[in-house]
Amino acid sequence: MSGDADAEDKGFEQFEQFLDEWSRRDFLRNLGVGTAYLAFLAGGLEFLEACGGGSTTTTVNVKEGGHVVESSVSDLKNFNAVLTTDYTSDQMISMINDGLYTIDATGNLYPLLAKEKPQISSDNLTYTIPLRQGVKWSDGQDLTADDVVFTYQLMYDPQYAKVNSPRRGDLSKYVSSVTAKDKYTVVFTTKTVYAPFAISHMLYAILPKHVLGSLSPDDINTAPYNSAPTVSSGAFTFTKWDKGSQVTLTKNPKYYRGAPHLDSYIFKIGGASTQVLNQLKTGEIDVGFPGIGAIDPSQYDSAKSVDSINVYSYARLSFDFIAFQLDPAKPASKLFGDKTVRQAMVYALDRAAIAHALYFDQATVANTSMPPASWAYNKDNTPAYNFDKAKAQSMLDAAGWKAGSGGGTRQKDGVPFKFEMITNAGNKVRENLLVVLQQQWKDVGIDATPKYVDFNKVLVPAITDTRNFDMFMVGFIWNPDPDQSALWHSRNAVAGGFNGMQYKNPDMDKVLDDAVATLDQGKRKQLYFKMQQILAEDQPAPILTFPNGILGLNKRVQNWQYGTFIGRRVFMKDVFVTDGK
Amino acid sequence: MLAKYILRRVLASIPTFFGVTLVSYFLIWVTAGDIVPGVEINPYIKKEDIDRIRHNLGLDQPFWIQYLNWLGLPNLAAQLHLISGDWPKGILEGEFGRSLIDGSPVITHILDRLPNTLELTITAILLGVLIAIPLGVAGALRRGSKIDHALTALSVAGVAVPSFWLALMLILLFSVQFEQWHLPWLPSGGAYSAYQGGDFLDRVLHLIMPAIVLSFGYLAIWSRFGRSSMLEVLSQDYVRTARAKGMSERRVVYLHALRNALIPLVTLVGLELPSLVSGGAVVEIVFGWPGIGRFALDRAFGHDYTAVMGIVTFAALLVIAGNLLADILYAFLDPRIRYT
Repeated sequence: MSGDADAEDKGFEQFEQFLDEWSRRDFLRNLGVGTAYLAFLAGGLEFLEACGGGSTTTTVNVKEGGHVVESSVSDLKNFNAVLTTDYTSDQMISMINDGLYTIDATGNLYPLLAKEKPQISSDNLTYTIPLRQGVKWSDGQDLTADDVVFTYQLMYDPQYAKVNSPRRGDLSKYVSSVTAKDKYTVVFTTKTVYAPFAISHMLYAILPKHVLGSLSPDDINTAPYNSAPTVSSGAFTFTKWDKGSQVTLTKNPKYYRGAPHLDSYIFKIGGASTQVLNQLKTGEIDVGFPGIGAIDPSQYDSAKSVDSINVYSYARLSFDFIAFQLDPAKPASKLFGDKTVRQAMVYALDRAAIAHALYFDQATVANTSMPPASWAYNKDNTPAYNFDKAKAQSMLDAAGWKAGSGGGTRQKDGVPFKFEMITNAGNKVRENLLVVLQQQWKDVGIDATPKYVDFNKVLVPAITDTRNFDMFMVGFIWNPDPDQSALWHSRNAVAGGFNGMQYKNPDMDKVLDDAVATLDQGKRKQLYFKMQQILAEDQPAPILTFPNGILGLNKRVQNWQYGTFIGRRVFMKDVFVTDGK
Repeated sequence: MLAKYILRRVLASIPTFFGVTLVSYFLIWVTAGDIVPGVEINPYIKKEDIDRIRHNLGLDQPFWIQYLNWLGLPNLAAQLHLISGDWPKGILEGEFGRSLIDGSPVITHILDRLPNTLELTITAILLGVLIAIPLGVAGALRRGSKIDHALTALSVAGVAVPSFWLALMLILLFSVQFEQWHLPWLPSGGAYSAYQGGDFLDRVLHLIMPAIVLSFGYLAIWSRFGRSSMLEVLSQDYVRTARAKGMSERRVVYLHALRNALIPLVTLVGLELPSLVSGGAVVEIVFGWPGIGRFALDRAFGHDYTAVMGIVTFAALLVIAGNLLADILYAFLDPRIRYT
């Protein structure tokens, strides 16, 4: 038996799987604006995980010059960081405009335009940030504290309320003022002590006041700068945006952190995510990056077999989960109100099989809600809920849900264990996942029916507003800070909040509140361990898996970095191509 | 006579324009619900942000006001001092509105992509016409022959095979496999190479596969249509007369029959004119073609009212113009048709 034949068989299997995947519906999903990412309940910034993350540094000598072409499934929306919420635009912006900070591989602040980490006052309310001196905009003007203050004014100052920034609500909740102490010192004053503040809000790309400062708030929304940022501060400068086709950037030789090795960088905008691997194979693109142009998990093995590309698979800050209806006023809470039942339902799931069959092994079974790469992740969080059908059955029996004489659906006080699970129609992985859940729960006498609904019109209102559901299944992407109040705090069980299951536990609320009210990372870590402990016990919304993102790089591209928290592309100035072309 | 006819047609199309845009706007309005275009759902974005941006964009207004604002009628009235207040500029004042997602004029989005779309669709339609007509004629002349059966099979395939599937198969063979076999391969995506592309040869190479896939669908329908139309014409009295007076078969077929058989085909091709702008959406997506169809779908999914409405309006104007053009061409092909 030869290994090659085996590999070929496998390749063929992959190809067949790939064809299966290409149902019309799946195709239509790919037409969407954000493709699969549209279907996520996305976090503010999307970051990658260090689970197997790293750098592609080699011993090859650095070559100057050349270009890199990266795939982007969706087109850029806007170059103005104050207005954007989409990951694609954010990634392109991070090439041309720097923020005060970015995040290092361990999830901590890393100074860019700031000279060092913020100096925090003893009452933990004031952040004083010294800026690097001598940083220049690409038109030669100095980048100063005025630019920083202006950028934040657009997002929190009431006089700019007409600027359509989606960050205003959160910023004005925490920011009391942002001022320039002198030309190179910015002072942020917050209203309350809020640990995630810096990491959530000090990463935005700074805008040039001398270009945008004279515009009215209304005109900021439609400024020419938003689609052609002629003045920038990053490693690359904007050259042109051929709409629907490509975004071309050129090296900024005067970049304050050192000129990049590459001469030019191009985002080639493709229409279908399945095309990423094809174009990597032909060399039409050099980079397929998770979040904007990842290789599809179903194509991972096939990608691995291509000589000209390196493939890296790593968990991201996202997870897929199911959420139980816990509101006592809703009928389904009769099924899920008892935490023994919820625990039993998790024991009944063979999540390793799910990761294998639905995610093509490109997902990690979750034993906590904290992404494994976070400093707040507890790898020994217990119980781990390994698949145990017998245990699930005996727990359900103990909770009073008895199977009938001839098997079939369990009942308690005449109520059958029967409910409906919803997820967004068109997301193939999720649709299949619900079918698998249905099967695995049926094996322990639970009757769950999948239903696929429109994401925007039905699913989101069900989660954040009406809360008319028995169970829903979606994905979620965290901010880099470990604060998870958005999902688990009872104050977010109100309309507009994301605690859709209406989970209310005073212990949990206290842990979450305490954890954001201290800036001491050691203390925070302990509290987040406690949080993970409570979640493992309560199981209000079991996390199923952390799906991986798959990065594909042409072998000529060197010094690329990838990992959990590497979102903004600080490493881009170090990237080079071996052929110098 | 002709000028008067055209003028009447143009005037008649004004209600059509309002009808089309009103219905389109209503459909988008209904499906978008409470969504703010371009703002993703995200726990770090507060309900107050959504409400504020909706208000800024005027999306919290009643449907009728939104539609009138989109047309720009209140703003027009305000400028004429008929009403007071600050109203947004509308489509009637040019620019085809401003995108709700990126704030830029929709007309620039359309014009930036129009050359690419026209390049693709005109090539595909020409390819379709140039191949479909001879095929249709051949099928009609050799009715029931092997050629005819082969053509029938081809057209069934053309209708049945989804264009995205055909596109993927071509890409797998002519791009991926050919590259691996070290044969000259065709680029699989975009209208030109990302790096130092854009010269004539580069564009032609990028055009080949998308144009073939797009024309395949046209080809199938038009060749069938051409065949049946030709068959019908060949059984007409004047064809028999032409033959009876001793005219050569070649002259009968190409001078008398074909010209008459083309009339319904002209209508059919004329109907495809709006698809010059939008028809290639699926092909555009698979091949990453930077055209208007892909943009329209993108923005429809993103609930960008103004962008979609801009494209709808643009397409509506083209349909109206296309029908008019087809009517004028009739007269050229068939002197019996007169404009009154």
